[in-house]
Parts: sequence; C-alpha cells; structure tokens
Amino acid sequence: MAHELEVFWFSEQPYGHVTEDDLEGWESGRMHFPNTYFDPEKAHVLYSNYHDQYQLADEVNFDGIMSNEHHSSYWCMKPSVNVDAAVITQRTKKAKIAMLGNVIAVNDPVKMAEEIAMLDCISGGRVISGFVRGTAVETLHAGYPPTENRPRFEEAHDLIVKCWTQPGPFRWEGEYWPHRMVNPWVVPIQKPHPPVWFPGTGSPESVIWAAKHRYPYMNLGSLLDLTKQLKGIYHETAAEEGYEAGPEHFGYLIRCLVADTDEKAQEIGRTFLWTENHRNRGPMEFNDPPGYQSREALRIKMSRPLIGTGTMGRRMTYEDLQDAYNIIVGSPETVTEKLRHIRKDLDPGYILIYGNEGHMAHEDVMRSVELLGTKVIPALKEG
Amino acid sequence: MTTVQSGSRTTVNVNGTAVEMYSGGSGPPLVFFHGAGGSNGWQAWHEDLSAEYTVYVPSQPGFNGTEAPDWVKTIHDVAHFNHMFVEALGLQDIILMGSSMGGWVSAEMAAMDDHNIDALVLVDPAGIKPREGEIAEIFMVSADTRLQQRFHDPSQVENYENYSRELSPEEQLVVHSNAIMASQLCWKPYLHNPSLPHTLSRVGTPTLIVWGNQDAIIPVECGHLFQQAIQGSQLRIIDNCGHSPAVEKRSEFVAAVTGFLNSL
Repeated sequence: MAHELEVFWFSEQPYGHVTEDDLEGWESGRMHFPNTYFDPEKAHVLYSNYHDQYQLADEVNFDGIMSNEHHSSYWCMKPSVNVDAAVITQRTKKAKIAMLGNVIAVNDPVKMAEEIAMLDCISGGRVISGFVRGTAVETLHAGYPPTENRPRFEEAHDLIVKCWTQPGPFRWEGEYWPHRMVNPWVVPIQKPHPPVWFPGTGSPESVIWAAKHRYPYMNLGSLLDLTKQLKGIYHETAAEEGYEAGPEHFGYLIRCLVADTDEKAQEIGRTFLWTENHRNRGPMEFNDPPGYQSREALRIKMSRPLIGTGTMGRRMTYEDLQDAYNIIVGSPETVTEKLRHIRKDLDPGYILIYGNEGHMAHEDVMRSVELLGTKVIPALKEG
Repeated sequence: MTTVQSGSRTTVNVNGTAVEMYSGGSGPPLVFFHGAGGSNGWQAWHEDLSAEYTVYVPSQPGFNGTEAPDWVKTIHDVAHFNHMFVEALGLQDIILMGSSMGGWVSAEMAAMDDHNIDALVLVDPAGIKPREGEIAEIFMVSADTRLQQRFHDPSQVENYENYSRELSPEEQLVVHSNAIMASQLCWKPYLHNPSLPHTLSRVGTPTLIVWGNQDAIIPVECGHLFQQAIQGSQLRIIDNCGHSPAVEKRSEFVAAVTGFLNSL
C-alpha cells in the first residue's frame, strides 16, 4: 500500500518579545544572552496561545503535531519535549504527537523510556518518538563533554528500545548508564514500540544512522538540492542494508504561512526572519566544539562533498528564501502550488509545517492553521 | 655515540600501537610530552637540548601520527600508555619533561611511579585547579583567540607566521583531530585532576617547574600550587612570557633547564 502524505503542525514556541536590539552586544545568541530578558508572565500568555494553536490544528485535521526541545534558546521555550507532549495529549483528540525529539544523550534513558511510554499510554498510541543528538549547545548546557554525545546517544537509544521491548527485569552493563536491574513498570501501547524518527540538517552521518536503523529521516529545512543529496544517501544506505526506502522514510520541515491574500501573507511571513542572524551567532566552537563531530563524521564529510549545510551561514533575503522554496507564504492557492512543487521534487511522506515565528500575531497564526487545515492540506492530498 | 643534527622521524611499537616519534642528540635520555594542541615535531629548542641529551619527542595517543588505542580515554590512561612507551624504548633513568597538557600527563606519570625518572621538568603544566583565577577556555574559542592566549608577545616568537598562517586541508584535519582527543581528555574536569595535588606528595624525583609569568591560559598561581605539591621542587618564573616559554623565551628556557639538570 502506498504511503499517504501526512502533514504535521510545528511551532518552536519562540519567546517573541526579544528584539534585534536586545541581542546586539552579546557574544552569542544562546549561551551568553542572559535570561534576565525572560518574563515568566509574558511566557504564560505565549504558552497559552501556542496550546490553542495545537488544539485548532487537531480540529482542522492536521495529521499530527510535532514538537521539539532546546535549551538556552530564546527562540524555543521548550526545555522538555515530554512536558509539551503531555500538553498535546490533553489539548488534542486524534493528532499524532511527533517528538523530535528527546535529547537522549544527556538524559537518563530509563526515565526517557518510561516517560515516552507513559505519553503513549495517555494518548492511546499517538506518539512518534524522535531521538535527537541536539545541537552542541544542548550538550554544553547539560554539562557533558562533547566527545561523549555520540556514544551516549547510541547507548541511550539501545537501552530505551530494550526497555520497551524486553520484559524486565534485566541487567544493563553499559558504559555510561550501568544498571544491575532495569524494570520500568510502564511500557508503550504501540507494539513493538512507538515509531522512531531521526532528524538532521546537513550531516550525512545522521542520514546513514537513520537509514541503517530504518527510521524515517526528517530533514529540518535544508535547501532542496542538499536535501535531495541527503535523501539519495538514505536510499543508497537502505539498498546496502537490503531494503528499498520510500516516502514513508522521509520527511521535510518547511517554514510556511497562509493568509487570506498573498499580500497579507507576504507581510506576516517576513517575521520568519526574526533575529535569524543572532541564533547561532558566537564562536563556531559553540555549535561545533571539538569532539561533537566524530572523526568518522569528518571523514564522511570529506568523502562526500555537499553543496552546503542548509541555509546556515548564507546571506539569503526573504525573497531569495522564497525563490528557493525555503519559506513558503501566500494565499491557500499559492501555498498549495508551492507545496505541490516540493512534493514533486522531494516526494516526502511527511511535511512538517514550521508555522509560527517570533512575534507573529496569535490571530494571524490561528488563521494560518485554519486555512492550512481546511484548504491547503485537502488540496495537497488530492494530488 | 653519534649526534643527530636534526630530529629524525620514526615509529615505536607500543603494545601494537605505532607511536610517531622524533628523536635526536646524544647523552642521557630526555622524553618530552606535548600539550593539547598536539606535537609540533622537532623544534629548535629540542635541537638545543640534544647537544647534551638524547631527546625523544613522541606524539601521544590520538595526536598527530599516533592513533589512540580504544582503551585510552582519560589522562590517566595516557599516563599509563606513556609509561609503556618509555618501556618500549627500553629507556632507564629518564628526564621526563612535559608542557601544558603534556606537563599534566608527566606529573601523573611521576605520581604513579617515579622509580625510572631521574628528573622531572614541568612547563606551564595543566592538572591543578587554580584557587583564585581560572584556566582559560581553550575549546570554545576561535583559533585566533587561542593563538592570542598562547603567546605574550608574538615578536618574541621565531617564525611566528608558522603559527598564524592558513592551514592546508590536511593540516586542518590533523588540528581538528588533535582537538577531538584533547577535548576527550580534558573537558571534564576541565584541564585538572582534583586528586593530583595529593598524589604528587609521593613524588621524590628532583623537579623543576617552569612558568611564563604572563601565561594567559594557566595562571602562574598554579606554578606555586605545583611547587607546594611536589616536595623540594624548584619554581622558575620567566617574565614577559606566555604559555610556551620554550618557544617564546627559547634561550632563557633552555638555560633554566640545563642549569637545573647540571645541578643534580
């Protein structure tokens, strides 16, 4: 049976009150930008709006809602994807809940396995459990050596899957989380376990890891040419592993906003560039401290010259990004056409709509969710 | 005994690991362990010392041309490995010298077992946490910042352009690969071992501690802490000098080392 396209809503839940002026003068946009700029009262209002958007997305038939986690980041107020997923279980009735995902390298894997299983039970089996390495800042924030991220990720992954699939109690002689007895009471409702996704932006190593585990790979908004090359690597790896990859193995995140007219959407969509130049500013070593990428990753990168690493580091205007199909804004008709182009070009099984940014007005985002759900998605699924 | 004018490159088999090494000179054996940036091969001050000593300059596991065996993951592991290296060479009664991270490793080696060590020379070593200041961040800073941290006055550095020039892709890969190993060894606890001031109390080897007075990476305060930790050790502070006295104050440094060794 052919895989049918699924469309997910995603909001990074930015603290939209931050301005370019606030960020000027700090050495980096993450580790150095002080949390004295955070006002919990304002956050309370924002969280409430974001949760209303979740509920509406479910009501207008998005297939799912995706969430994520970042630390020390003004543009993502979610230090725990599991807490956000718990909210989604209560504000939605049928949408899948894709967590993309838990930063398992820097958390207790047994507790991760328990929490995700709990969410799966609460939601009646709606959970998709993404596992992420996190940006390097997530590892720095958690206080772990960057060289340990990859081996911790691997061990945490294996231990979580074992918690879900092997009856307890069992012994785990791991390097990082040795346990004499593991016996989590709560296990997932989905069997053998919830689907696992793995995201990436530009690293071939991530694609290869996902393909070897037969986990769907979600590309987080790289330019189309690079994304096609990465997808090619997935297909090659799948072939080496003895299976044929299809659309069900591949998803694509795209910044997208719909309004009643093209003109209005153009105006609102400009906020997608909110503080863009500050996000990963700082010494390169914050985003890539020595050892965060393995020697193997370096070798793979050298052996496979790619055209770039997403959009990071490139100076592209709002118009450039639209021409490159990296930001899509417009009326329902315009957006449907452009998403059709992406679908034709990449054939993703999942389109993840990055639908909110910065200080976009709540009403505008709600209208976008409504138009996407009632007009764009049905038209897109018709072909 | 013949004198080798320039250090020659060889490899030494240490329990199956091929260790890259430069060596030259004649006289008593002097083994030097490099810092976190990796080996710079045979340098002018090695040549100076090789007039009186047989100087051995290996690349430690995970640095430059030496692969790290799977089990080498901590500074202690490197110290054990370096002992094996000395044994593989069959050296007796060595002068053990190390700079920065290599000074830390040398101190750990001496604390483990100093019966084969005749003299210990620690050059701006890492390993002890300062009480007042901090050890500077070396991993999450740009290459330019790292270079600025290293030298007090670049005009004192011979062939400074060798340190500041643009690297070839192959050289970049070596630099990056060295940084990965240094990160693995030194990230946490950051460039020190809380036990070291205590375990060093067992060291009976005559010890010289050399420090650049303006060291911007490891404060000179740590020199005093090392001196307190190692009984009978001498501290020699070189003024107008940063983290690498052997490079920045070559003649003063060589004189300090040979003067100390000749006094034993």
